[in-house]
Amino acid sequence: MPSGRSLETGLTLGDVDVDGAILERIECVHGDSRSAFLRKATIGGAALLGVLALPPAGKAQSAKDVDILNYALTLEYLQAAFYTEAEQVRALRGRARRAVEVVGAVERAHVTAFRDALGRAAVARPTFNFRGVTENQTQFLRTAVAFEDLAVAAYKGQAPRLASDALLAVAVSIHSVEARHAAWMRYLFDITPAANAFDEPLSRPEVLRIVASTNFIAAAGRTEREGTPRFTG
Amino acid sequence: MRGSTRITLVAGAVAVLVVALVAARFTSSTAATQPDAPLPAPAQPAFVIPEPEGLAGERATSRWSTVVRAVTVREAADPAAPAIASLSPRTPEDTTNVVLVEGSAVDDAGRLWIAVRVPALPQNVTGWVPRSALGANSFVRTRLVVDLEELHATLLRDGRPIFEADIGIGGPAVPTPTGEFYVRSKLRSLSRFYGPLAFGTSARSAVLTDWPDGGFIGVHGTDRPDLLPGRVSHGCIRMRNEDILELGRLMPVGTPVTIR
Repeated sequence: MPSGRSLETGLTLGDVDVDGAILERIECVHGDSRSAFLRKATIGGAALLGVLALPPAGKAQSAKDVDILNYALTLEYLQAAFYTEAEQVRALRGRARRAVEVVGAVERAHVTAFRDALGRAAVARPTFNFRGVTENQTQFLRTAVAFEDLAVAAYKGQAPRLASDALLAVAVSIHSVEARHAAWMRYLFDITPAANAFDEPLSRPEVLRIVASTNFIAAAGRTEREGTPRFTG
Repeated sequence: MRGSTRITLVAGAVAVLVVALVAARFTSSTAATQPDAPLPAPAQPAFVIPEPEGLAGERATSRWSTVVRAVTVREAADPAAPAIASLSPRTPEDTTNVVLVEGSAVDDAGRLWIAVRVPALPQNVTGWVPRSALGANSFVRTRLVVDLEELHATLLRDGRPIFEADIGIGGPAVPTPTGEFYVRSKLRSLSRFYGPLAFGTSARSAVLTDWPDGGFIGVHGTDRPDLLPGRVSHGCIRMRNEDILELGRLMPVGTPVTIR
C-alpha cells in the first residue's frame, strides 16, 4: 500500500478530490503548503469537511468576501445538483415534478453567477451521491425542505459579514429567493410554510456539519487514466 | 447662601437641562420622520443573476453510475433472486467501474434497486443491484452508433450527428459483437498499436474469451491507418488517430454504444 493511504478507506485526499475542488478551496484560504500536506494526508469524510470549515487567517477584507462567496457557491452546487438530478432521473410526480424544474433552473443560475463573479477563484464542483433520495418522492421532499431551510439560514448567517455593500445586495436578493423555495418545498411536503415569527441564522460550522451528516459529498470516480490498453485490438 | 436655596438652584438647573435634551431629541426625531426626508438609495448589486434556464433542450440523456463496492447482479429486484453476474468497483484497466442505468424498483422491504447493463457475457444482459452498491449518478447526451455493414461510426448528441468516421472492425473469425453497450473507460494510450487514445466499452468478444483481461472491445486509434475502412481488427473498433482524438473531445465516459 502506498504511503499516505488510509488503511480504513484506502483513500487519500488526492483520490477523493479528483477534480480539485477541495484542494482549490484550501489553497484559496490557506496557501499552497497546507494543501500540499493535505494532498497526501489520509482523510475521512468528517475530516474533509472540517478542513473546509477552517476560517481564513490573516486575509484582507476582500479575501474574506471571496471566502464567503465560495462557501455560498458550494451550497449552491449542492442544491443545483440535487434538483437537476431529480429532474433527470424523472422519478417525481405531480407538482413536485414541476417544482424541481423551476427551482433547479434557479439554483443553476445562482451557480453560474457565483462562478462568473469569482472567476479563477471559484471552487470546483464537488461530486454528489444522493443515494437514491432523488428517486423517492417522500425522501426527496423531506431533503428539499432541509436543504432550503439550511440555505436560508446559511445566507442569513454570512450576509452581515460581507464587507461589500454590493455583495450584500446580491446575498439579500438570493436569500429571499431561497426563502420562497423553502416555503414552496414545505408546502409540497404538507408542512406549514411559514410558522416562525423569527428565523435564526446558522454558522458555517453548523451548516457544514449538517451537510456532512447527509454523506452526499462523494468520491469522484476516476474513469480516465494513462496506460497500455489490453482490448482485443 | 443657605443650603435650601442651593438645592433649589441645582434642581432648577437639572430640570432645564432635561427639558433641553428632551426637546433636542424630539426635534431630531421629528425631522427624521418627515415624509419628504430622502432615504438612501438601494445598493447596486455587485453582479446580476442570469435568467434561469431549463433542461428542456437536453432530451436524449442517459444515466450512468459508479460501482462503489463488489456486488452480485441479480435477475430481479429481490435479494433472493438468482445471481447472473458480479460487479467489481474497478475495471481491468484500473479505472472506476461504471454501469449504465436502465431503471429502478423498490422491493417489498422498501429498498431501492437499480437495473443496470452488465459488462459481461452473454451480451446485452441487464440485471439488478441494490442502490447502495452504486455511487454518484452522471448523465450524458451522447450516443455512439457503429454500423458494421457501412464500416462507419457516428456520434450523436441530443439525437443529432456531431462526428463521423470510417472504421475498422473485426474480421469473420473474430467478429465485433452487436448490441447495446456503453463506454466505461478512457485511456491515454501508451501503445502505438492502439494509437493515442482508447475507449474501453462494456462489449466483449464472444470468441476471444481467453484474451487478457477478458477480451473487452475497445474503440481506439491505430498505427495502420492504411487498412481503414476494413474488417481488419480482432473485434475492436479502430479509427484514424486524428479521428479518435476528435472523438475523445466529444464523447464522455458513460456514452451508450449501439453496434449493429
